[in-house]
Parts: sequence; C-alpha cells; structure tokens
Amino acid sequence: MNYSALLKAFMPEAILVFGALLVLTHDLLGGRGRSHEYRAKIAAALGVVAVCIAGWMATTEFTLGATVDFLANDKLAFGARLAILTLSGLTVLFIGGTSKVKNPAEHVALMLFASSGFTLMAAAQNLLVAFLAFELSSLSLYILAGFDKTRRDSAEAGLKYFLFGGMAAAFMLFGFSLIYGLTGEISLAGIAAKLPQIPLSPLLIVAFVMIFVGFGYKAAAAPFHLWAPDAYQGAPATSAALIASASKVAGFVLLARFLAALLTKAGSIEIIGASKGWLGIFGALVIVSLLLGNIGALAQSNVRRLLAYSAIGHAGVMLLAALVTGVGLELPEVRNNLLLYYVFTYGIASVGAFGVIAVVENNGGCQQLSDLASLSKRSPLLGISLMVSILSLAGIPPLAGFYAKFSVFETLLRRSSIASAQSLDNVIFWLVMLAIAMSAIALYYYLQILKQALVVSPDKDQPTTPIRVPFMAAVSLLLCMITLIAVGVYPDLLMNLLK
Amino acid sequence: MPSSIDILWFIPALPLLAAFIGAISTQRMRSVASGSALSAMAVSFGLSCIALKDALAAPGVHQVNNFSWVSVGTFNLQLGFLLDPLTAFMLVMVTFVGFLIFLFSTGYMKGDENYAKFFCYLSLFAAAMLGILVSNSLLLTFICWEVVGLASYLLIGFWFFKPEAAAAAKKAFITTRIGDLGFLIGLIWLHSISGTQLFYNNGEGFLETINLVEATAPALFAISAIGILLFCGAIGKSGQFPLHVWLPDAMEGPTPVSALIHAATMVAAGVFLMARVFPLLEFGSALTVVAYIGAITALLGAVIAVAQNDIKRILAFSTVSQLGYMMLAIGVGVWEAAIFHLLTHAFFKALLFLGAGSVIHAAHHEQDIRALGGLAPRMKITFATFSIGMMALAGVPFLFSGFWSKEAILHGAHTWSVSHIPFYIGLVAVVLTAFYMTRLMANVFFGKPRSHAVEHAHENNWVMTLPLTLLAICAILLGFLGTPAFPWLQAKLLGKDLSGALEFGKIFEGPGLMITSIVLVALGLGIGWAIYGFRKRERFGDADPLEKRFPGLWSALEHRLYFDELYAATILKTNSLLASFSDWLDRWIVDGAVQLVSKLGTLLGFINRDIDEQCLNAGFNETAEEIRGIGNTYSKAQSGDVHGYLRVMAWGFVAIVILVSIALNI
Repeated sequence: MNYSALLKAFMPEAILVFGALLVLTHDLLGGRGRSHEYRAKIAAALGVVAVCIAGWMATTEFTLGATVDFLANDKLAFGARLAILTLSGLTVLFIGGTSKVKNPAEHVALMLFASSGFTLMAAAQNLLVAFLAFELSSLSLYILAGFDKTRRDSAEAGLKYFLFGGMAAAFMLFGFSLIYGLTGEISLAGIAAKLPQIPLSPLLIVAFVMIFVGFGYKAAAAPFHLWAPDAYQGAPATSAALIASASKVAGFVLLARFLAALLTKAGSIEIIGASKGWLGIFGALVIVSLLLGNIGALAQSNVRRLLAYSAIGHAGVMLLAALVTGVGLELPEVRNNLLLYYVFTYGIASVGAFGVIAVVENNGGCQQLSDLASLSKRSPLLGISLMVSILSLAGIPPLAGFYAKFSVFETLLRRSSIASAQSLDNVIFWLVMLAIAMSAIALYYYLQILKQALVVSPDKDQPTTPIRVPFMAAVSLLLCMITLIAVGVYPDLLMNLLK
Repeated sequence: MPSSIDILWFIPALPLLAAFIGAISTQRMRSVASGSALSAMAVSFGLSCIALKDALAAPGVHQVNNFSWVSVGTFNLQLGFLLDPLTAFMLVMVTFVGFLIFLFSTGYMKGDENYAKFFCYLSLFAAAMLGILVSNSLLLTFICWEVVGLASYLLIGFWFFKPEAAAAAKKAFITTRIGDLGFLIGLIWLHSISGTQLFYNNGEGFLETINLVEATAPALFAISAIGILLFCGAIGKSGQFPLHVWLPDAMEGPTPVSALIHAATMVAAGVFLMARVFPLLEFGSALTVVAYIGAITALLGAVIAVAQNDIKRILAFSTVSQLGYMMLAIGVGVWEAAIFHLLTHAFFKALLFLGAGSVIHAAHHEQDIRALGGLAPRMKITFATFSIGMMALAGVPFLFSGFWSKEAILHGAHTWSVSHIPFYIGLVAVVLTAFYMTRLMANVFFGKPRSHAVEHAHENNWVMTLPLTLLAICAILLGFLGTPAFPWLQAKLLGKDLSGALEFGKIFEGPGLMITSIVLVALGLGIGWAIYGFRKRERFGDADPLEKRFPGLWSALEHRLYFDELYAATILKTNSLLASFSDWLDRWIVDGAVQLVSKLGTLLGFINRDIDEQCLNAGFNETAEEIRGIGNTYSKAQSGDVHGYLRVMAWGFVAIVILVSIALNI
C-alpha cells in the first residue's frame, strides 16, 4: 500500500481535522479574556481558511493503487467533495458575527469535524468506511443540533435527532452486516460483482431495505422524516443550515453509490430481480415524501418548520434524481451532474435562507413567519437574499432551483418515453407529474415567507429597527446569491465541471 | 495578445459593470457613477476600434466565438459573439456617440437629484445595445433587445413625477412589446425549422444554411413568414408605421436620452437586425413588405413633422422618417446603403438632438419653437453645429454626410426591379425634409426672441459644446466614406476589398438622379425659406402661415393624423373589453376553482399537521418535558413514549419490506 498516495487522497479530511484542532487550540490559548464576538470571528475565519485549503486539496489529482478499493477517485467524488466544502465554508462564515452560543470555537470545530465526515461519505467505496463516515458526521451533527444549551428546544432537537439517528444507524449497520454475510464482500465493487450470482431471497430484501432506512433518515424522506421539523426548529440556525445543506449532499451521493452497487449490474439498467419492484419502493417513498412534505408545509406558521417540511418535499425530488444517478437511467456523464446540481443548489439556497434567519435571530427571535415582517425595510440585503434563496427553492427561473428541477424532470420524462418496459414508463411519468403538481403547491407556502419579508408591515409590538448584517454573514449571503443567479442563468458552468 | 473576437464580450460587459456601480452608488457618490460610466464607454470605444481594425483586415470573414449556454439532453442552446465589418462599424458608432452623449449628460443632468441612477440606466442601455451588436445568436439578440426596451422605459420615465413622462414610458414599452411578440414567435419558429439560433457557425449557422434550403412553396412561405415576424420586432423598435406612435411621445425623457436612444442607437437596432438577417429576408418575399412599410413611414414621418411645434417632436418625426428611409433601403436590397445612412444619421441626429438639448437647457426648458427665436447670435457654437446637422439631414449636396447616404438609398430604390413607387415616395420625402428643417431653423434661430427666457439665453459650457463640435465634424466627414466615387464603407460591409482609384465619374452616374434630388432639396429649402424666412414670426401666438391657408389639413397634421385617437378608439376599446371579460372569468371561474383547491389543500395540511404533531410529537414533547422535569420518571417516560414515537420508523421499514416482497413475487 502506498501511504503517501493515501495521505494525498485523505488530504482534505486531514486538513479539516487539523483546522478544527487549530480552532480549538487558538480559542483555548488566545481567546482567553477576549470578547465573545472576537472569539467567534477568529474561529470562523480560521475555519473558513481550513475549508478553503481543504477545497484546494480536493482539486488536486491523486492516484490510488489497485489494492485500495475503499475510496472513490471519480468525478462524482470530486464534485461532491467540492460541493460539500463550499457549503460548509458558507455556513461557517455565518458563525462569525451571528453566533450567540457559548463556545463559538467548539461550534466551528464541530462543523469541521462533520464536514470531514461528509467528504469521506462522498468518496466512500466500502461498507466500513461508509459507516464510519456516516457516524462521524452524524455524531457531530447531534451535538451541533443541541449546541445552544441556553434554549430548551435546542436540547430537544438534539435529543430527538440523536434518537432517530441512533435507530437509523442501527438499521443501517444491520443491513450492512447482512449484506456482508450474504456476499462476503465489504467493497461496493465486490458486492456489485457478487450480487447477481445470489438468488433474490427475503433476507436480501430485508438487508436492502434496512440500508435504505438509514439513508431515508439522512435524507429526511418520509416515513423517516419525523425528526426534521423539530431539529430544524430547535437547532441553532447555523447548525440547521449544515444539516439542510452539506449533510444532504453527502447522504445523497452515498445513496447514489449504493444504488449503483446494489441495484445494477455493471451500471446497466438490468436491476437484479425485477426493476419494477424497486421502482415501486422508490415510487412509494417519493410519493409519500412529496405529499407529506409539501402539504405539511402549507399549514405551518413557524418558518423553520416550514423549511423542514419543504426539505422533506425536496427529498422526494432528490430521490428521483438519485434514482437517475444510481440506476443509470441516463448516460453516465449526465447523470452525476443532475443529482449534484440539484443537491448543491438546494444546499446553497438553504444556507442562504437559514443564514438570513441566523442574522435576524441575532436581533431578536426568528421562529414565526411574522418575525420576518418588513424584513426588506429593516435590511435590504437580508430581504433580497431571502427572496433569491426562497425563489430558488420554489424553482422560479432564472434561479438555479428552476434548472435543477427542470433537468431532473426532463431527463426522467425523456427516459420514460424511450424505455422498453411500458409499466416502468407509467410509474416514472406519474411520479414526475406529481412532483410538478407539488411544485405548484410549494409556491404557495414559499410565497408566504416572501409576503412577510417583502410586503407585510409589522405589528406594533414587533421591532422595526434596522438590522446590521455582520461583515462575514454579508459576504456569505452575497456569495449564495451570486451562485444561485449565475448557476441558474448559465447552468453549464456547473454541469461542465463534472464532464 | 488575444485576438479581438475573444475579448469582444468586454465591450458590452464594461458598461454593464458601470451600470452595476451606478446602481449601488449613493447620492453622494454621483461622480463615481458618471465617472465609471464614462470610462467604461471610453474603454469600450477603444476596444471597438481594435475590433474594427481586425474586422477590416478580413472583411469577408465572420469571426465567431460560440459557447453552449444550456444543454438539456439533445437540446443544446448556443450563444455566441460575432465580429464582422457590420458589427464593428456599429460598435464604433455606438460607443463613440454614446461616449459623447454621456459627456453631454454630465452637464445637462447636473442639477438632477437622481444623477447616479441616470448614469446607471444609461450604462445599462449601452450594455444591452452593444450586446445586440456583438451577438451571434438570435436569442442573445432578443435578450438584449428586451433589456434595451427596459432601459428605454426607465429612461423615458426618468422624470416619472411628470404624468406625461410616465404615460409616455408606458406607451413606449407596450407598443414595442407588440412588435417584440412577433419577434419572439419568429425566433421560435426559426428554431423549430433550423434547430439553431446562431447566425454564423462555420457553415452551420442559419444564415449560412439558408442558401441550401430548397425553394419549395412551404419553405418559401415559412421563411417569408419568419422574416416578416422578425420585421415586426424591428417595426416596434424602430418606430415604423403602424407602431410609430410611441417614438414622438418618448421625447418626454431627458434630452440626452432622446439623442442616445430615440435618435442615434436604439431605434437603429431594428435596422441593424434587418441588415443582420438580410440573407434570410432575401430568401423569401419579406423584403417587399419591408420596402413598402419603410416608404410609408418615410413619407408619414416627414408629413407630420411639418406641423409640429415642439422642437424635439419635430426631430422625433424626422427620425421616424429617416428610419423609414433605412427600412426602404433594406427592402429594396441595398442593406449596405441602409447601414451607411444609419451611421451618418446617428451622428447628425445625435448632433441635432444635443443641439436641441443645448437650446432647451439655455432657454430654461422651453421647447416650443413658437416661443424660441433669435438664438443665432446668442448661441454661436450651437447655431453653427445645429446648422451643419440640419444640412446633413436635409441632404444639402456634396459637403454633408446625409446627402451621400440618402443618395445611395435613392439610387438603390431607383434600380429596384419590383416597383418604382417607393422611389417616388422617397423623393417627395426629400422635399418635405428640407422644408420642415428650414421651418425649424427659421423659427428657432432667426427672428427675435419670443419669450423672456430666450432673451437671456447664452452659450453652454464646454462639456455640452464639445460633443456638439465633434459630432458636427463627424456629420461632415463621415459622408466621404461612402461616396459613389469611392464606396469604401459599402464594399467593406459587403465583404469586398476595394481596389482601384477614385472614380469621380461615378458620382453622376444614372439618369440624372443626383441632379433631380439636388433640385428637390433646393426646392424644399427654397419654399421653407420663402414661407418662414422672409416673414418671420412676430409673437408666440401667431398662426403658422400654412395654418392660415389650409386650416383643416394643418390641424390633422398637428394631431399626428389622429393615429393615437384611432388606436384609442379601436385597439384600446377592444382590449378593455377583453380585459373586463378576463377579469370576470378570473374572478368567478378561475378564482373559484383556486379557492376550492386551496381550501382543500389547507384542510389536508391541517389534518397532516395534526397527525404529525398531536399524535406523534405530543408523545415526544411530553417525554422531553419529563426529562427536563423529574429525574425519577425519566426512565419510565423514555421507555414508553419514545418507543411509541420511533415505532413509526420501524413500521415504515416493515411496510416497505412487505411491499417489496409483494412486488417481487417472493
């Protein structure tokens, strides 16, 4: 085994961990007696620098010997790592200036630990590495969700997230061990090679479904979504931003890899057993997620819970995109892009929305929709950022969210018109139709947010003072906005990255 | 050094950047806004000159730089930039005239409180206009075309607190939009036939493949129809009959805007577009339509201009008329003459408008020619430069550019094989042009001042007179680029290299055509001077000599032949009927359905939330309360309720396993 090559391959993760330790050390030695604001700023700055260096490292080429089969070295891993680091960096920026938690340095350090878990997930090619990365990220996220110890609902969010996560991890690990027991392999490539020789037994199905329960939890797909509204509501806004963005990218990329390994033979559409059954499962998950997420969001008056339900709805579309990527309904060079483009732009919009919430929260609470009243008057930057992010989530052209949805639907529909199996077509067609109908419903609750922020004038008891946006948060908000607009107007900018 | 096709996109990008800077500039940063706008235009002008040099080195070549914008499956939409002599000449003209007008504006708009915003809009306009010029894709052209429309709307309505300005802005926007609809339909139709939006793409652009199309009846029909639809866009933007009504009203904007947009550049975009897609127009029978519309517009504009009293409106109608000439030239097949006239017109019309602006500025915003008068001795530079512009417009022979370009158009119209009617209409318009410009000159600069403000008028400072002087020099010199003796400009535009010496003999070629037009110009000037020069207007209230003689005709002309009233009675009426019907439909049928669906949706949402939160969360929340509360009940609560809560997850798992088993028949 070539250890220097291995070190090079793990460089982004190593930098992140080193950066996290540096943040902690600096805060311990240099932060003593300093103001909270100063410590938060320094920690965020160090964190962003670490993320940037990690991102730079992630772009350098590395080669692994044939014996190393636990780390992917492909375009999907490359793109996903960059996407994750971008999202983490943007999130960390918000901590400098908006963080009210007691230990900002630990907050940043945990985010970096979580990010290293995410990047590892994006590249994992082996059951063990996948599970370790999954747990590394999850454990950090549990703490992040419950990080604001001064608030009761933060503790509730952390606990709830943890309980669900623990159960999901148990399911997943059980599934992994069953797969290992059946095939005797832990690398995804090995499993993919062995599986076609094994008859489709109930045990195999149980194993598969257990693994998908784990992913369903990570993706907040129904019926494993119950943690999401509480976690989004209670967690500090920056933690929620990370849960909604980078965590999703990592989860869906890993899911796509598993789908590719478990369901396909050498990347073709010849799914073991019968394609129809698996599609049915996915179809059921997609339908339930779309319906529960979008309709649940309609009745929300809490902006964070609303975003959580909208995330559940988006998870439905992302599952469709993962299906395209994993099962190989489309040409290899296109399919990776679809999923990554979708989760990345969704992540950016979520970071933007939660970033706005974080800044507003710094100036008083931000839970109810009415807390956003006349936001555009209190701070034009926040108003515009929120508008761009929310409209992108809603999928309004020319923002990135539109093209993301459009390309997923378009690819699926085109595929459904040329597929050989007619029954498959119908399933896909109706799934897409449902997703489109739900996008229309989604517009209603998204516009509710914007109505508050841009139109409604505040009640008497609500603050109308201007909000000062901290410098680092402003930079992050501007970057989010520019990305959403630029990538939306010129999607090939991102799409070409992976070709 | 990169070749100029690679850096071509900088030319529109720089003013766009300036527009951005202008947009974020505050009141106090006004010099930042104007400075960035001016320097962006100056650099763009420099780049345009380099581009022109490159384009002229190989005039027959269409250099392109295409890139993929959106690719969805097999659908690949390409945008691109194009450099050929047509683009390059236009670029130099727009950036040069634009720069001078920006400079003029720094003086003219000095006192306005929204100074920074004004330069933001101007830069945005320039960016979009330059975008149209460098575009190699009909779609990119359309995008910039719309941005130009937006910038024009913002600038016409810049003094939005004046109701007329707000109304004029709206009118311009809506009227041009009608034409743009045609443009859009044509664009989509074209794409469905050719599969590309690119003009040139190394033999694959639609202008290159058009010659390979077999001339069958359906193909001819489709291409003619597309040509006419694209022409609709040009009709709107270039103020052609019957959509010319917005252009005169657009004069409510600040005068530099009128000069830049509604005289020199934007209105020329339609002509430019027609010249750009000329191979397409030539293929079908769209050109005949273009020629007649152009001829009608040329005459109409000139006739109405005779009876206007607002100095800017006279110039506006003369613009309508001149644009008609250009369209006429395109229609009869001499598009290079149209571009020649476009370029000369841009300079002398910008000169005339800025001259008018100078007069208006000096006369404390008095625009009525009946109230002006006697300004020649008070504003010598303005008078001299305005005279040059007037003579160029009227087509005074030999020295002035307008003469040569108009001559080229008339020559083309004369040799048109289809009909001679446009040619004769053009000749009539020549007389009228000379006539109404003489009327304008006599009223504004001669006689005695007829209002208090004019008596105290004096010359403006250098930022306003310098552009006038430079434009005046161009208004003279530019004509010599395309005289029949040495038609350098036309040859370059057509992609030919001009060899050989000057051929003075060619000037008087043709059956006395030039003699005829010189005589007609002299006739127009003579009649004009006879009526307005010898007996000058005494007081503001005096009736026009022609008004006394032909009161009915005069009043019709003064009311612009009642086009606005006609449209109000027909189109607007129909429209408001349709609108009230739609309103009814929307209110009762559509809204009712929407309300029903939304009520259902909300109901579902509440049910969903209640299930989620009351049944599932309530249990957990109680648990959490207990955890926070008494320690000894902790384990009991935990073991009970959390299991219940997490049970959903487990049931989900079981359900899926069963579902899969059923689906896979195991």
